[in-house]
Formats: sequence, structure tokens, C-alpha cells
Amino acid sequence: MTMSDQILFSIDEAFEELSPAQLPDRHASDTSSPSSSTFHRYQIETQTTPDIVPYPSRFRVKVKKHGLIGLLLKELFEYKGNFQVALSRPCVYGVFSRAVGGLAPREELCVGCLRCTVQYPNIVQIHPNPELQRLGDTFVKPEYIDTIMYEARDGRVPVRGAGYRGLFGGEGWDGLWTDMSEIVRPTRDGIHGREFISSAVDIGEKPAFLRFDERGEVVGPVPTVITTQVPFLFDIPAYTTQTKLLLPILSEAARQIETLVIVPIQSVIELSLTGQHVVPLVAPESLSWLDRLSWSPSMFMLDGWDRECFDTLRRRYPDTITCVRVPMDTNLVELAQQGVRVFHLTANYHGYSGDQFVIDLILQAHQSLMDAGVREEVTLIGSGGIILAEHVPKAIICGLDAVALDVALAVALQARFSGECIDREMASLSFPRLNTDWGVQRLKNLAAAWRNQLLEVMGAMGMREVRRLRGEIGRCMFQKDLEWEIFAELGEEGSGT
Amino acid sequence: MRHNGKTAETLIIAKHQEALHRGFLTWPGLAYDRPPAMGDARWTADLILATWIQAETGRPPDNGLEYQVGCSGGGFDALTFKFLPGEQWIPEQEAIDTSISLNRRPYDRKIEIPVPWYGAGMSFGSISEQIMQARAIAARQWGTFTCTGEGGYPESLVPYREHVITQVATGMFGVREETILWAPIIEFKYAQGAKPGLGGHLLGDKTTASVAKMRESVPWVSLFSPFPFHSVYSVEDHKKHIDWVKTINPNALVSVKVSTPTDVDMVAVGSYYAGAHIIQVDGGYGGTGAAPEIAKKNIAMPIELAIPKVHRFLVQEGIRGEVVLMASGGIRTADDIAKIIALGADGCVLGTTELVALGCTRCSNCERGRGCPFGLTTTDPHLSQLVDPNWGAERIGRLYASFQMQLRDILCRLGLRSVQELRGRMDLLNYRGEQGGHHGAGAIH
Repeated sequence: MTMSDQILFSIDEAFEELSPAQLPDRHASDTSSPSSSTFHRYQIETQTTPDIVPYPSRFRVKVKKHGLIGLLLKELFEYKGNFQVALSRPCVYGVFSRAVGGLAPREELCVGCLRCTVQYPNIVQIHPNPELQRLGDTFVKPEYIDTIMYEARDGRVPVRGAGYRGLFGGEGWDGLWTDMSEIVRPTRDGIHGREFISSAVDIGEKPAFLRFDERGEVVGPVPTVITTQVPFLFDIPAYTTQTKLLLPILSEAARQIETLVIVPIQSVIELSLTGQHVVPLVAPESLSWLDRLSWSPSMFMLDGWDRECFDTLRRRYPDTITCVRVPMDTNLVELAQQGVRVFHLTANYHGYSGDQFVIDLILQAHQSLMDAGVREEVTLIGSGGIILAEHVPKAIICGLDAVALDVALAVALQARFSGECIDREMASLSFPRLNTDWGVQRLKNLAAAWRNQLLEVMGAMGMREVRRLRGEIGRCMFQKDLEWEIFAELGEEGSGT
Repeated sequence: MRHNGKTAETLIIAKHQEALHRGFLTWPGLAYDRPPAMGDARWTADLILATWIQAETGRPPDNGLEYQVGCSGGGFDALTFKFLPGEQWIPEQEAIDTSISLNRRPYDRKIEIPVPWYGAGMSFGSISEQIMQARAIAARQWGTFTCTGEGGYPESLVPYREHVITQVATGMFGVREETILWAPIIEFKYAQGAKPGLGGHLLGDKTTASVAKMRESVPWVSLFSPFPFHSVYSVEDHKKHIDWVKTINPNALVSVKVSTPTDVDMVAVGSYYAGAHIIQVDGGYGGTGAAPEIAKKNIAMPIELAIPKVHRFLVQEGIRGEVVLMASGGIRTADDIAKIIALGADGCVLGTTELVALGCTRCSNCERGRGCPFGLTTTDPHLSQLVDPNWGAERIGRLYASFQMQLRDILCRLGLRSVQELRGRMDLLNYRGEQGGHHGAGAIH
């Protein structure tokens, strides 16, 4: 082996995230899958994927047509018939670019710059489109939907000018800021394309230590993990939407992204979904479907804690990880003592379990496992209330290893809400007529945009691995704490002289 | 076709300029109420229109427009002053000093500015040359400063060089020996609030031939100022940077612009020991250029929380008296200026506010296509002609006059004769956080 061979070999090893045994789809014949013999720098392919049902324009352009004609005539007179000057239009985005100009504005091109209305307030007014304001529900706000649609359409990080436009802080995720480092290692993979930041996470059972015999061979439990290339999984969709069109889209997108998708075992069988990226969801009443499963998944998910069911799965599939899906306020230490090592903690779609928001619940779950001394052995996946890219690093900072996405995926596929979309059982979502290629690409675009935003956040911190972000609450700042620290000594209004 | 000897292009620009100027006057008069699609939680339609009025008249509005706070539910918008009863106010005939010094060290050049603010760094490329000139003219008229940002030093700014800060950032665009020599103040930009830890980024669409030439690059490619300075990994490295520019220009003061991480107080102390005269802390909610939305909203803390933290730590370290602390990132009004000084800053740095005075509607499309349709954040040769530098300078100057008047009024009601007396007087403030925060609920204003 020459020196250059050695160097190449070490670089390959450094960047290769997956061993062949850990590849997401051992059964797939996809030749583009990475292998240990080739360098594989993980990336998600994006491609502009337009909406299949028209998305409301952001603004309504209301033009007083008589006023406009009057203005044109006046200007034609003023500029002595110079059409070029009289017909020159204020909009630089093409809203008035039709031959008839402002008489038939192209609302879909309006970006709300307001230049037209500033110049001609008596003729044109720009209004926010009420149709857009009606999208979503009380938690999934219209602006969230707008963001997700952009991400799913283009696969790009939303970038805008002129600073922040929102509230100072707020409830839930908005009351949390992530940290940055003034002087950090050059950990940038996004726009600057330099060093690699890993977004891979390990899901599985990790013993606290290894035991070796006198020959140096490992004896006793060894880590059993699945490495996903992004710290987000695809959760089972709402009951009303678990169709034979939607589930294969989720499955194929998960396979291509190299993550996992959770699917009820009945659907796995009925739709013939296979592959190591498919995680069958098993409930005690659906245990009998295991008999019809002809392959061995990398992970099962048990819907709710059931000792007997858990033991059955472990016995029948000793090499498969068993994850237990429980509400986020469950006592995890008790279950960990009974041998559970992978948890999927669930809150409702608005991020609540009981009357607590997920941030507090994740912090409590993480801390309880830390106190019991088993946090390093356990994997925590969480879902509920994670609707924007920024929620992913925040949830991980609070203590999750990975998150599972639900409503955000539906929004990317242009699902429409009917009323409040609170939980999997009650949510009423309607999808357009789905096309597999379109749907898969939309989800890939969303995943790429979210991953790139995760890299932005980690790059700002100077972190190279999302694994290291888990539970690093020193990497975030809580509004409540900072306000207390800074403003506690101030009085309330009216307390002054 | 010519009309009165003018080309069609000249006529088109004149036509739109005139219509825009008319609009800047008409809308704040509320003849059509507020534009329905204008404003957001931080910059409400009222604040934008009120800024237009101040840029026109040099006074705050008297027609009911809210010109002091936005509706963001926290920070500046939840802070109020504990004004004294009327009989304890400073008598009208007494002068109230609004000046601050930009060098509190016992050595090096003394620079004093008559108002506790100067203009923020906005690069050529992110804004037009006309806007840079307007800001420089206003800075000279007011005896304060503007800043080049990191995009080079256009020739047209040279006549105003005594009032222009040269910014040095990681891309080193436009950093040459003469631009260091010209500068009374040199600003090292380590990070910026809108995209902390992410560096600068000028999108390809805005890298026109003139911008590329200024930055010694090629047109139509995205230009990055990568984060961080690879030559700086310690306070000692930081000091080397400062020694380097001081060797070239010993007369210059040095400012250090940093963002607001959780340890911003430690960073400030490090900068002091490295020899900085001015520490500019840039909060996350400001910024004028394009930035990822995730960064603006989520990374690093707002300036209202960072400044008291830094101020207190500098006091504890016994060095507060030797360093000038300037705040930036989301300061919109005269009230915000007074509040941030009460929270511990010496003064502040204005960016977006100046652009709003020139007609910005905060539509957030700065990065899109040809850039700002109002001719502000653009280098498009046609759009940038919408702003005449002298017109712009007058508007910025009148906004400054209005801010100074309001600042004096606030000081008068607090019984203070100088803005310097206000620094760190948190005891003169009340705070109510969002939904009441920890101090109970109530309307903001």
C-alpha cells in the first residue's frame, strides 16, 4: 500500500457513515446506494417540484380601473404622447406585465413590495390574501405553511432580506434561541462547502460498556444501531390519510433520504412495503400480522407499552431493534429498567402531552434518564409539534436523539386542513391526487432544506456532528431564563414615581 | 424619443421618483389609512409611516401614528420609562447634552459625536452607491459616522472619509492600505446579528460588474465572507489584528463588531484586552441584507438581552469606563435608542432605520432579482437612480433631528442633563414580557 493509498483509505473511512451492514435497504437493488469501497458524501438531491394544486398568491392586487385609465390618459398628455414613458410601470416583478398592464394584474407575481401602492395610492392597493391566512390551524400558522411549501417546492433554505419580522419570543419553540460561537472551527458545509458536518444519528441499543474475553474478543451485548443520515424520521400519518398512495410515497422518500418510515404492520403487508428503512408499527391486537411478514426489519415499533408483546418481538426477532412508542410524559426509567432501549415519545400535533409542551417534556425525559445513569444506552425519538426546520435542532438540544415528522410532511404534499389538526386519530387532512414521483421529490426537497438549515445552526455553533448536540442545553438560551436574569430587578409599569 | 431635451429613460426615472416622493408624503397623512399589507410585528405600518414623516419634517408625527414602539410583545416593545412627575423635569431652557465619546481610553485620538449613534455597515452591493453617499453626506452634516460595510470603498465616499468607518471582515473586500489610512475608525466585523456564525453572503444576482470590480471578483457569482476569521482563534490573535491596522494607521480607533452568543460578555472583555476602543454588539433581530430565516429568528439573543449582560460584566471587571459599548440590531426609534442606553450601551448603530427613512417598506425582497424596487438595496443601474443622494441625506438628517429632539425630551422627563447619565440606568425602566412575562400582563401602550 502506497502512502497515497493510505491517505485515501483514511479519508474514505472518515467520511463513510454507513457500514454495508447498516445500509438502509439491504434488499433494494438501487445501485446508487453507498458502499464502503466508494467515497460517499451524503447529500439529498433536490429538484424544483411545482405545486400540483394552485397555491394562493400572497397578495391581492386591487386596481381601480377607471382611475388607471385616467392616469394613463393624463400621462400621455403630459408626456406628449410618449408611450414609453406613460406606460412605464412601477412594478419590477411583472405584476403589470400583461399587455393590458394594471387592468389585469398577475397577482401570483406580487411579492408585496408596495411600490405600486406607494406611488399610486388612489389607484392600486395591495392586500394580504385572506385565502392564505385561512390555511393551517391555530398551531400550524399560515406562515409556517408558506415556509414548508417553499422548502418542498425548491428544496432551498428560505432566505429573505430586511431582518427579522416576528415576535420578540413567545410560547413553545419561539421562546428558545440557539447559541453561536464568535470564534469557531470552520465547520461549514452549506453555502461555503468546506468541512463536513454530519447530520447522521444512531438509533438503537448501546450498552454502557463492552466486555472482552482474555483473547480480546467481545463478549456480552454489543451496540445494535441503525444509522440514519438525517435526525428526522417519517412518522405514521394521520389515520384518515393512511392510503395506498401516501404510504408508498413516504416509504420511497425515506429510502432515498436514508432515513426510516414508520408504517402500521397491516399496511406493510398489504402494500408489500419492504426494506430496512420500513419500521412496522405493531400493536398487541396486530401481533398476528407478524406471521405474514416475510422479511426481517431493522426495527419494530411497539404501539404502547405491553410487556408480553415486547417479549414476543424480542424473542421472534432477536437481531431487530424494538422501539416502544409511548406518550411523552411516560415514566421512562421504569421501562428502561425493564429492558426498553429505544423510545418514540409522542405528543399531539400541537406539541402537547397533557398540559405540557414538548420542550418541557423532552427536558424531563432526558434528565430522568441522566439521573438514572442510562441516558447513553437509550435512544429517544420524539414527535408532535415539530413543524419547522428550526424545531429539529431545538428538540435535539433539549434531549432527543432524533425526531419523527408528521404534519410537516402532509403540508409538503399540499394537504389541506379541515378544522384543528390536533392528533393522529382526529386530524382531518385531505390530499390532492398524489403522484408518486412528485410526492417523493417534494419530501426529498423538504428534507434537503431542513438538513441544510440544521447545518446552518450547527455551523454557527461550530459543531461537526448532530449526535453531539443531543441534550446540550448550554447550546441554547431560554427567553424565560434570560428575561429573569436581565429584567428581574426592574419594576412593573405603574411602579415608577 | 426626447421630451424637453430629456431621454425617455431620464423621464421614466423622474416620473417614478416624483410619484414615490408624493407617496412618502401621502401615506403617512393617513388619507388612505395604513397600507393593508404593510408592516410586521417589529416594524408595524405605524412605525414605518412615522419614520417617513420624521424624515420629511424632522419631527415625530402628531396625527396619531404610533412612533415609539412596535408590537413584538417583548424587548423594546415591553420596556417603558419611569418618568418623573412634571415638576421635576429639566426646565426647557436648559441644554441637554446628547453627545458621546467614541474613545474612553486614556490614550489615542479623541472622537466625540453629537448624537449617540452612527450608521451601520452596509456594503456596496447590498446597497447602492447612491445610498452610501446619502448616508455619508448625512454623517458629515451631523458630525457622526457611516460605515462602508464589507464591499469596498467607492471613490464617491472619499470626500467624506473623515466620517466613514472602514469595515474589515473575513472576505477582505475593499480592504487596502489606503482605505485603512483614510479611516478615523476601523471596524472589525467578527459576526453579524442577522446571520451570526454564518458569515456574509452577497447573492450572485447582485454582483453586478461594478460590484464585482469593487470587490475584485467576477460578476454574477455569489460572494461569501466566510465565517470566522481564520487568523483569529484567541484574544492574542485578535490583538494581532488590531496591532496590524494600528501599525498602518496609528490614529484610527478600532471597533469590534460581534454577535450575541450566550458568552457575549466574555467576548466583549476579550476585545477590550485586545485593545478595541469600541465594542459593537449586534443583536439577532436586525440586519438589512439577505439572511436565512432560520438564522434571523433563532440564532443568538436579541440586543435587549445582550447589552445589559455585557454592561454588567464590564462593570464587574472594572473596565466599563474604558470601553465604548455600541448596540445594533433592531433599533428602530428614538425610544429604542434611549432604552438601549438605559440598558447599558453608550450609544447605538442604525441601519434599517435609515433605509426606512429613505422609503423602505420592509418587504424583505432585498435579495430577489434586481434587488430593492425602491432603489435602496440594489445595484441595478436603473433602480438605484430612484434615490438622489442629496435627497436621501436630507431625509436621514431630518430623521436624526427628530430622534435627537425625542431623546432630549426623554432625558428631560427623566431629570437627566446628559445622555451619558442615562447609561446603565435600568432602574429607570419597567419591563413586561410577552403575555405579561414574569411581571404580569397589560397593554404595552
